Amino acid sequence: MTAYLIRRTLQSIATLFIVSLATFGLLHLMPNGVVRGMLGQRATPQQIAYVTHKLGLDKHIWDQYWIWIKNLLHGDLGTSYIRNQSVDNLVKETLGQSAYLVGLALLLTIVLAVPIGVLQATRRNTVTDYTITTLSFIGYAVPVFFIGVILRDIFQVKLHWIPTANQIDSFSSAFGQPEQMVLPVGTLVIGLVAGYSRYMRSAMLDELTQDYVRTAIAKGATKRRVLYRHVLRNALIPMATLVGLSLPGLVGGALLVEQIFNIQGIGLLTINAAQQNDFVVVLGTTMLTALVTVLGSLVADISYAALDPRVRLT
Amino acid sequence: MVMSPAFPEQGDPTIPTDQMLGLAPAEKPRSMFRRGLEVFVENKLAVVAVGVLVFYVLFCFFGPLFYHGNTTDVQMGEITLPPGAGHPLGTDKDGIDELGKMMRAGQITLEIGITSGLLASVIGMLYGAVAGYVGGWIDAVMMRAIDALMSIPIIFALIYLSATRGRTKTVFILAIALTSWFSLTRLTRGDTLTIKVRDYVAACRMMGGRNLRIIVRHILPNTIGTTIVNTSLTIANSVFALSVLSYIGLGLQAPEDDWGGMFATGSSYLDQNYWWMIYPPGISIVLIIISCNFIGDALRDAFETRLQKR
Amino acid sequence: MALLEVQNLHTQIKLKRSVVQAVDGISFSVEAGETIGIVGESGCGKTMTAMSIMRLLPNGGSSPEGSIFLDGRDLLQLDEEEMAGVRGNEIGMIFQDPMTSLNPTMTIGRQISESVRIHRGTGKKEAHERAVEVLQLVGMPSPMQRAQDYPHQLSGGMRQRAMIAIALANEPKLLIADEPTTALDVTVQKQILELIDSLRERLGMAVILVTHDLGVIAGRADRVNVMYAGRIVETTQTERLYANPRHPYTEALFDSLPERGAESGTRLYSIPGLPPDLTDPPKVCRFSPRCRYAQDDCRAQDPPYRVDEVGHEFACFHPVGAAERSGEDLKVTLSEATSRQELPAGEIGDVLLEVSDLVKDYPITKGLLRRQIGTVSAVAGVSFTIRRGETVGLVGESGCGKTTVAKLIVGLEDTTSGAMKLSGADLAALKARDRRKRSKDVQLMFQDSYAAMDPRMRVRTVVREPLDIQKVGDKAAREARIRELFDQVGLPASALERYPHEFSGGQRQRVGFARALAPAPKLIVADEPVSALDVSIQSQVLNLMKDLQTELGLSYLFISHDLSVVRYLSDRIGVMYLGKLVEIGPAEAVYSRPIHHYTRGLLDTIPVADPEVEKAKASAGVAGELPSAIDPPSGCRFRTRCPAAQELCAQVEPPLAPFGSDGHEAACHFPIWK
Repeated sequence: MTAYLIRRTLQSIATLFIVSLATFGLLHLMPNGVVRGMLGQRATPQQIAYVTHKLGLDKHIWDQYWIWIKNLLHGDLGTSYIRNQSVDNLVKETLGQSAYLVGLALLLTIVLAVPIGVLQATRRNTVTDYTITTLSFIGYAVPVFFIGVILRDIFQVKLHWIPTANQIDSFSSAFGQPEQMVLPVGTLVIGLVAGYSRYMRSAMLDELTQDYVRTAIAKGATKRRVLYRHVLRNALIPMATLVGLSLPGLVGGALLVEQIFNIQGIGLLTINAAQQNDFVVVLGTTMLTALVTVLGSLVADISYAALDPRVRLT
Repeated sequence: MVMSPAFPEQGDPTIPTDQMLGLAPAEKPRSMFRRGLEVFVENKLAVVAVGVLVFYVLFCFFGPLFYHGNTTDVQMGEITLPPGAGHPLGTDKDGIDELGKMMRAGQITLEIGITSGLLASVIGMLYGAVAGYVGGWIDAVMMRAIDALMSIPIIFALIYLSATRGRTKTVFILAIALTSWFSLTRLTRGDTLTIKVRDYVAACRMMGGRNLRIIVRHILPNTIGTTIVNTSLTIANSVFALSVLSYIGLGLQAPEDDWGGMFATGSSYLDQNYWWMIYPPGISIVLIIISCNFIGDALRDAFETRLQKR
Repeated sequence: MALLEVQNLHTQIKLKRSVVQAVDGISFSVEAGETIGIVGESGCGKTMTAMSIMRLLPNGGSSPEGSIFLDGRDLLQLDEEEMAGVRGNEIGMIFQDPMTSLNPTMTIGRQISESVRIHRGTGKKEAHERAVEVLQLVGMPSPMQRAQDYPHQLSGGMRQRAMIAIALANEPKLLIADEPTTALDVTVQKQILELIDSLRERLGMAVILVTHDLGVIAGRADRVNVMYAGRIVETTQTERLYANPRHPYTEALFDSLPERGAESGTRLYSIPGLPPDLTDPPKVCRFSPRCRYAQDDCRAQDPPYRVDEVGHEFACFHPVGAAERSGEDLKVTLSEATSRQELPAGEIGDVLLEVSDLVKDYPITKGLLRRQIGTVSAVAGVSFTIRRGETVGLVGESGCGKTTVAKLIVGLEDTTSGAMKLSGADLAALKARDRRKRSKDVQLMFQDSYAAMDPRMRVRTVVREPLDIQKVGDKAAREARIRELFDQVGLPASALERYPHEFSGGQRQRVGFARALAPAPKLIVADEPVSALDVSIQSQVLNLMKDLQTELGLSYLFISHDLSVVRYLSDRIGVMYLGKLVEIGPAEAVYSRPIHHYTRGLLDTIPVADPEVEKAKASAGVAGELPSAIDPPSGCRFRTRCPAAQELCAQVEPPLAPFGSDGHEAACHFPIWK
C-alpha cells in the first residue's frame, strides 16, 4: 500500500509539473508578448518596457518560470496588475462560494444518481427504465448554459418563484441564501445526475451478470440481499474513480453556472480576468483548479485501491 | 445454447462439399460494412438524427441562397421585433433579421465544430495507437502528459487559448481540437493494448509479419470503429465547447458570431422576454449535440453487431 | 419416493427473436445418498437441467414447467421466498469456474458464513466459527487464515474447495455439481472429485454430477443420464451403460474417445453434422440426421422410451446391438465405413528439429523503481528432437511451461538461452529478418482459432495471409493454393467468403489448420488444438491431422494437458513439470511403463471412461498443487509432491537419463523401474 501511495503521489506531482509547464509556456510564448496583450495595441514602447521590467518579463524564460514556481510553492500566485490585488486575495474571496456550489452539487448528485441507477437496473427494459434513460440522455446532451438559462427563464422570470435578489459574493451570502443556490446547484445536478445514473445503471447491470450473483442466489439469499449486499457494494466501488474523473468537467460546469447566475466565484473571476487580459489571474486560477482536480483524482484512486481488495497495491 | 452456424459440421473430409446445407452457393455473403449499415438503419432515432444534421447543413449553407434577410445594417426602426411577416424569426436589438443571422452563425458553428472534431479524432487516434503499440516508458510518459492535460478543466484551457491567441476561426478550431482528443486517445490506446496481445496478432507475427503489417492490417482496422464512433461524439463536444466560449463572452471577434454568441446575447435580455432571440439558437445547439450523440450510439451498435452472429 | 423426482421437465430460454427448448420433457429421479451423472455435449441441456432444479435460470429464461419433487414437495410450485429457503439449505450447488463464482470483494469466510446466517439465523460469531469448521471439512489448509482471504488470493483448487464449503455449509440433502472440475488441472480435478465423493458419504447426501467428461462420470456416478438435444436419450446403471450402450449416440460418444482409438489403433469415429437447432426441434428422432443406424421410421417419428429387461431405458427404434439379436436387416450409412479403418502410418525420417537446453526466464519487477526482484523460470533446460513425419506430444499441468516451449519454437518469444536447430540452422541464433523467412517452415495451430483470426477479415484473407507475408507465388497461385487447402481440410470453397464468427468451433479449427498448412511448413506446433471442442468434433480434427500428416509428411509438436489425446496422436510423448522435461519416450512405453513418479501420478489422475478401471484405481494421484515457478524447489522440482522423495532429491537435480534401448528417458533419482 505504501509503495502504491508513494508512486501515485509522485505521479500527481509529475502531473502538476507538466500542467505548470504547459500553462506557463502557453502564456509566455504569446506572439505579441504578455504585456502587449495586457496593455492593448495602443500602448507606447515606454509603457511596455516599464511593465515588462516590473513584471520581471525581461528575465530569461527559465528564470521567470523558476521565480513563478518558487512563489507558487510558497502559496503566492502573483499579483493582478489590472485589479491591483494579489491573486491570493482574489482567490480567497471567491473560493468559498465556488467550493460550496461544487460540493453541494456533487453530494446531491451522488445521493440522487445511485438510487436512480439501481432502480433502472432492477427494472431493466421496463417503461420506468426507458423513461429515465431518455430523460438522462437529454440531461446529458443539453449544454449546461442552456439548462441554466431555461431554469432562470421559467422559475425566476416567468413564475417568480425565486426572487432575483442580491448577488452571491461570499461564502456566507451563498450559505445564508439557500433559495439563491437552488437554481445554480440544480443546473449542475441535472447534467451530473444524468451522467452518473447512466454509469450506475451499467455498473449494476455489469455486476448482475457476474457469476458470483448466481452463487449468492444458490446460497438462498433473497433478491434484496443479493442486490444490496453483493451487487450494489461492488458496483459502488468504481464510482470513486468516476468522481475523480468527472471533477474537471464539474469545475468547468460550475464556471458557467457562476456566469449565468452571477455568483462571484472562481469561475466568474477567471472569465472576467480573461476578458480583461489579466493573465496572471487566469494562470493562477488554472493552476489552482488543476491542483484541486489532481488532488481529487488522487483521493479517488486511493480510496478505490482501499475499497477493492483485488487492486494490486505494490 | 445451440447456435446454428451457417452450415453443419462435416463428418468426413471426403464427403462432397455440395452437401453443405443452408448455403446458397451463388450468393456472396454480405460484407461487414453492409451488415453494419443495416443495423444502423434499423435505429430510427439515428436516421432521424442524420436527417436533422442534413437539414442544418442545407439550412446554413444553402439557405442564404434563397433567403435574403438583413444581416448587416443596423435598422433602428425594426429593433426587437417578434417573429412575424418579413422577419420569420424576428429581429434583434440592432434590427438585424434573426433568421438570416441564424444561417450565418450556423455556418460558423458547424464549420468550427466539424473541423475541430475531425482534427481531434485524427490526433487522438494516432497518439493513442502509437502510445499503445510502442508501450514501455514512452507509453508511460505519453499517458502522464494526457493525465496532466486532462486535469485542467477544458473550459479553462479554452479560455486560456482563445484569450492568449486571439479570437479567430483558426484559433478556435485549433484550440478546441487541442483540448478534446484525450478521451479518444485513451480509448484507442486501450484498444491497441488489447488487440496487440490478441492471438491473431501473434499469428501474424508467427507467420513472419512485420510491425507495419500488424498495425495497418490488424490494429487500425480493429480500432477504427472506436474512432468513428467517437468522432461523432467529439463533434458534439466541439459544438458545445464553442458555444460555451461564446456564451461567456470569449467567442469570435465581432461582427462574426455563432449560435452560442446569439444565445448569450438573447439570454442577457431574459427579463424582457425576447424568447425568439434565445430559443432558436439554443435549440439548434441542443439538436446538433443530441443528433451527434444518437448517431454515435447507433454507430457503436453497428460496429459491434458486425462481429456478432446474426 | 425418491429424494428428488423430476417429472416431464420443460425449460425454455427466451432469446431476442426466438425461444430455445433447452430442456424438452425429461424425467429422472435421485435417491438419497446416490450420485447421478448427467452427461452430454455442449448445448445438450445438461446445465439447464441443473439450473432448472435450483430455479436459477438466466435472465429471460421463462420458468420451467413440469414438476420437480424434493422430498415430496414440488419446487416449481414454491414462491420465490420459499425457494430461497431451499437453495443453499436443502440443495447446494457448485459451479464450473470458482474464480468468477465467488464475490471478489468479500472474504471467503464471510461468503460461507452468509449462507449459514441466512438459513440458521445464527449470530455473526457462530456463523464464522461454522465457516471455519466447514473449511476444515473441505480440506482447506489453515482454515482460520484462509477465511480471512479474498478469492483472488487463493489457488484454483482452493477456490473450488471454498465453493464447496459454501454449498455444504448447511449440510444439504442434495448437491448439484455443474462441471465442478472443468476449469481445473487434472491433478486438482482428482482431488476435488474425491473430496465430493467422501463428503457425500460422510454427510449422506445425494449428488448430481453434470459434466461433458465421460471419464469423470465413470468412476463417480451410480447411474447416468445421457442427454442429447434437450432430451435424456439413455439412462441406466453406470457399469451397464459403459459396458453395453444401447443408444447410438452414447455408442458414438464412446467411439469418439481418443483412448479407444489409441488402444485399438483405429481411426476415431466422428459424429457427422451438428446437433439440431433447438428453437424449432424436429418432430422426429433428434439424433437421426447424425446416426449411422438411422432408418426411415427414425426420420418419420419421435421414438418413445424403451426399457429392456434390466431397467435400461433408451429412446431409439433401432438400438445398438438390436440388429444382431433379431436378425433384422439394417442399412448402415457410409460413415460407418470410416469408423473402423486402420490408422494410416506415415514414415518417420531423420531429425528435423533439435531443441537443446532451452531456457526461458521472465523477469519480475517490484516496488517504486520496478527493480527486478526475481525471475519466473518458465522453461528450464529442455532438450528433445522431432523427426520428419513424427509427432511428439508434450503434456503437463497448466503452468508447466509447455505453451512457452511452443511460443519459443514458433518465434513468438525470444529464448533466454539454448538452441533450436531446424534442418541445421539454429532458430534461436538467427537475425530477425532471417528468422521471419524461416518462420514458414514452422507454423502454429492455436487452441482458440476464433481468437487467432482477425474478426474483420474473411477467411480467404485469413488463410492467404501467410502466403502474402512470405510472398509465395503470384496472386493466382495463392488463390489456387487456398482452394487446395480448403479442399484438404474438408471445407467447401464457398466458405472462403465467410467471416470467422460464422463457423462452428470444429470448422474454425479446420480453417486454422488450413492457415497453418498454407506456407507448406515442415513442422506444425499445435497448442491444445482440440481442448475447446466437444469429443465428437474433437475426433474429426484429430483424424484430419493424422490423415494430412501421412499425406504431406508433416511433423507435429502436439501440446495438450489431455494425455489420452496426446497418446492417440503421438509417436513419442514428453512429460513436463514446472519448466523441466521429466520423462520422454515412445508413446506406448510412457503410457504403460512410466518411469517418473509424476508421469505415474498424471496417468492415475486422468479419468478413464471405464467404470471398472476408475473404481479399481487406488493411487492418490498427485498430491497438492503446482508450486510457484518464481522460486522453484531445489534439486528435483517435483520432490515437494513426490511420494518417493528423499533428501538427495532436494540437493541434486536428477539429469535426464536413458532407461532401456527404446529411447525412453526420465529424470529421477528413484525411478519406478530400472
